[in-house]
Amino acid sequence: MYFRIRAASLSLVIFLCFLFAWHVLTADRRVAADSRTLSPGERSQLLENGMPESDAIGYAQKGLTYEQILQISELGLSLEDIDGAGGIEAFGFTTGGAAEEARTGFPSPALVWEEAYEQIRHPFYDKGPNDKGIGIQLKYSLLRVGAGFFLAVLIAVPVGFLVGMSPLVNLALAPFIQILKPISPLAWLPVALYVIKDAEQASIFVILVCSVWPMLINTAFGVASVKRDYINIAKTLELSPMQTALQVILPAAAPTIFTGMRISIGIAWLVIVAAEMVIGGIGMGYFVWNEWNGLNLASMIFAIFVIGFVGLLLDFLIGQLIRFSDYKE
Amino acid sequence: MNLQNDPFDPNIDVWNECGERGKSDEAVPTSVADFVVSPKEQESQEFLSRRSFDSDDPQSVAHRAIENSVMKGVFQTDLNRRRFLKAVGSSATFAAINAMIPFGSLQAMVDDAMKKIEKKELKVGFVPITCATPIIGGHALGFFEKYGLKVDIIKTAGWAVARDKCMNGEYDASHLLAPMPAAMSMGLGSTSQDWRMVTNVNTNGQAIVLANKHKNRNDPKLWKGFKFGVPFEHSMHNLLLRLYVAEHGIDPDRDIQIRVIPPPEMVANLRAENVDGYLAPDPFNQRAVYDGVGFIHKLTKDIWDQHPCCCFGISQRFIDENPNTFIVLLTAILDATNTVEVSQNRVAFAEAMAPRNYLNQPSAVLKQILTGVFPDGLGNIKRVPDRISFMPYPAQSMGVWILSQMKRWGYIQNEINFKTVSDDIFLSTEAGKAMEAMSDKNRNVKWTDIPASKYPVYDVYGKEFDPNKVIEYINGFSIKRS
Amino acid sequence: MEYYVRTELLGKAFPSEKKGGDDYVVFEDLNVGIRKGEFVTCIGHSGCGKSTVLNVFAGLEKATAGASFLGNRVIESPGLDRAVVFQNHSLLPWRSALKNVEFAVKARWPQWSAAEVETHSRKFLSLVGLDKSVDRKPYQLSGGMRQRVGIARAFAIKSELLLMDEPFGALDALTRGVIQDELVRIWSHTDQTVFMITHDVDEAILLSDRILLMTNGPRARVAEAVVVDLPRPRNRATIIHEPKYYATRNHLVDFLVRRSQELSDDQAGSDARTVPTSVDGELVYPPEIIPGESESANLTAAMAAQC
Repeated sequence: MYFRIRAASLSLVIFLCFLFAWHVLTADRRVAADSRTLSPGERSQLLENGMPESDAIGYAQKGLTYEQILQISELGLSLEDIDGAGGIEAFGFTTGGAAEEARTGFPSPALVWEEAYEQIRHPFYDKGPNDKGIGIQLKYSLLRVGAGFFLAVLIAVPVGFLVGMSPLVNLALAPFIQILKPISPLAWLPVALYVIKDAEQASIFVILVCSVWPMLINTAFGVASVKRDYINIAKTLELSPMQTALQVILPAAAPTIFTGMRISIGIAWLVIVAAEMVIGGIGMGYFVWNEWNGLNLASMIFAIFVIGFVGLLLDFLIGQLIRFSDYKE
Repeated sequence: MNLQNDPFDPNIDVWNECGERGKSDEAVPTSVADFVVSPKEQESQEFLSRRSFDSDDPQSVAHRAIENSVMKGVFQTDLNRRRFLKAVGSSATFAAINAMIPFGSLQAMVDDAMKKIEKKELKVGFVPITCATPIIGGHALGFFEKYGLKVDIIKTAGWAVARDKCMNGEYDASHLLAPMPAAMSMGLGSTSQDWRMVTNVNTNGQAIVLANKHKNRNDPKLWKGFKFGVPFEHSMHNLLLRLYVAEHGIDPDRDIQIRVIPPPEMVANLRAENVDGYLAPDPFNQRAVYDGVGFIHKLTKDIWDQHPCCCFGISQRFIDENPNTFIVLLTAILDATNTVEVSQNRVAFAEAMAPRNYLNQPSAVLKQILTGVFPDGLGNIKRVPDRISFMPYPAQSMGVWILSQMKRWGYIQNEINFKTVSDDIFLSTEAGKAMEAMSDKNRNVKWTDIPASKYPVYDVYGKEFDPNKVIEYINGFSIKRS
Repeated sequence: MEYYVRTELLGKAFPSEKKGGDDYVVFEDLNVGIRKGEFVTCIGHSGCGKSTVLNVFAGLEKATAGASFLGNRVIESPGLDRAVVFQNHSLLPWRSALKNVEFAVKARWPQWSAAEVETHSRKFLSLVGLDKSVDRKPYQLSGGMRQRVGIARAFAIKSELLLMDEPFGALDALTRGVIQDELVRIWSHTDQTVFMITHDVDEAILLSDRILLMTNGPRARVAEAVVVDLPRPRNRATIIHEPKYYATRNHLVDFLVRRSQELSDDQAGSDARTVPTSVDGELVYPPEIIPGESESANLTAAMAAQC
């Protein structure tokens, strides 16, 4: 216990160091332009161009150069025109670069927290098909992963059983498995879209394809390496092949099968985010893509944390399954 | 185009389409006679004064849109239309055209359609760029509801996905690149499915942006060795960039590198110095300035004013199965397009499109783009009201220009009949034509009978482009691949 | 036929790994017989094929020649009429001791209710002294306890034939002794026929009615069946005081140390059997020898068996 507390403290220290470094490296270094005063000559030129004096003084106080104010006056832009274009602060003149509100560079931890707090506070808001809360996005991603993963289990476990029990099938299927296994799931995506003609089903198919292999291979391995003795017990007890499979082989191979599932769910979670970035619509991947699209890095980083956390959770859940199914010889 | 403008008014431009701008014979008074109102003119004024228009009344808007479509179909250009109206008079023109194409029954058809919408809930796709303003802003400001449609607009990650989702039937209609519907119909890069480009959604609206470190190399002649991003290979962006640099003596294939980068990644790539610049759709040009990453070197408007860009595409099957819905949807889009073209409405559109559900951009960036009052990133403030325009009807000859450039750069290898292919590619570019495609069996209208000068001559970056002399046009370039 | 469980001219050979090479013959024309209710052990050096014989009885292994019988039935596959205790206990590690026994009981009497199954299983676990450990998983049990569970499981299904393949081979001497005593006790209350394989001479004497002695392989055979003529109930502590104990023991040790090799057919260097396995169609089973009896008596018995 003491050891665990020490480990946790160390984790915390590392995290705080990380936060501190992040904070220091992302400090805002923009300097606001100094306020200026206009010479009487400049002022009269601007007035002549039809710019109200108050506007001119206002611009100068915000740090615009005379040349810039002159340009505004020559273009005949009223204060209303400027406000219609987002206000003079959005022009970058007052900062000598990016607009004042622009969040340039990498967001600070405070900014990410601000964004995260907003998102966490309203996880299920729904402002139209392209703007839903993080909870809804997660739900969709998890549903897709769940569906694809479930289908993969339905295929991988029986086929894995067959491969594991029959050296003939094993040898016959080996080339297919070996060729299909290393194909990036994302390479399947366009093919799936083309063939299935439904983005939802295509993404589920991609999950299926990426999670089926580790499970299949592990199931086959687990089944093939079930101790001969256990099978012999089943034989001497005259169990039917089905009983043998369910009561002896399955529990014996379960830890290995679940380990395959653990690998699979990790891959599936990686892939769904990537697939949703391509397909769009809804889901964590879409959320990241949408924030990228708007260049809202703070929001993206929050989403990345969420993705990591959920990945951890999924891994933990399957890890629990492994723990429950595991046995010591 | 602005639906406020009556297409039967001989004194105003209605369409302002490419090449015509500034060329229309503005009534410059040259003699006393010009100040005298001719009887025809008077008759026209009376006719026009009898016509009413209420932009808040869906029926009224739909009627105006139909008239617009028909007039566009007949005259193609403001120049032709105004000359004709001036010569014949508004009421006589109306009568003549009405004899050929019964406005009344077409309008009755729209009225009818609005009562019998087959499919009220629609899914429309869009790629999050300001080109899609009529669709996005139209949704945000309730243009679809106004016509009794419940439309969900869905953000799409890129053009290939948009195409696939269209073909899969996930979208009833979508924002697409102008040549895409035709490519889909011909089965280029996908299975063939009949899609129609029903209206253009925008013209202009793109720009060349360079990284801030190149502030001192703001001249294309100094760009040797640069890396540029474009959003799609077969796009106006690529062709315009090629044309532009080539005109400054830079060979786009040898002196610079052009790579395809999805629009949202443009700014990030520019910041990371992966590219030196890009020719991309807004908001990513202005966004680079807003974020202090790059500056606007040139608006595409200044390369080819009123060049086409994106369109609103819909499948032929949808039109066949839901003719009424189609008319109503089209009218809603036309209404939104016409509304956002009016400068007073643009701030409202910019604000409506800023939220995450739509473009997910700071509203200031969108306002700068739509109002055309913007910083260029070099310390200047610019005022270009038509930085982006929203024009429903492009001319067919734009397709010929695209083909000429594709031929020039070797994307097309074999000999082609430019006009035929262009007719195919920009097939049913107009709302009016789509309505014909919708089939008017019992009305006996033959649009092909209507004489039209489809191929006006216009100016692209200082070179006159005559669609009848494409080969000569191509040969006129010193840098080319064919 | 007087033998209840028997093999008739059983053979086991493995094909040569080299092409065209001679098959490796573990044994051939082997006749092994066990009477009903008899406790028979089989002793022999490693490689003589005694485990194969047991596995053939269990139905887990197929012989390459001959046949084996349980009563009048030919043994072809494993079945509930035979229970096996494996050397390495072979409990299902994810089940508790009780569940392991229940697993077998349920298979034997599928029609039983859960309560019946449990009561029956607990009864047999308590017979081996495991009342308090029924809910432990195998890894939580000591080696001896695990083997007890294996024995309880085997006895619980009340099979006709109990097969034990060196059940105590992996146990320390102390534990082995205790369990041997228990095995004797349990077995004496049943009428089960037992065939057991062992390396342990004392164990064989303590438990067996007869001990089959196998010569070394290849081409191993059962040289003789030693009758353990010691009164039951036997006890480890007192059995050594029995008059015939040492004679029996010496006979066995002498066989294992010296004669098992000398009698090996392979050693004889001839294909001909030194001892015929069948005469005029009648199978010849190994001669029964009672150590301590006069040599002539044994000789007569041997001759009688050979004729």
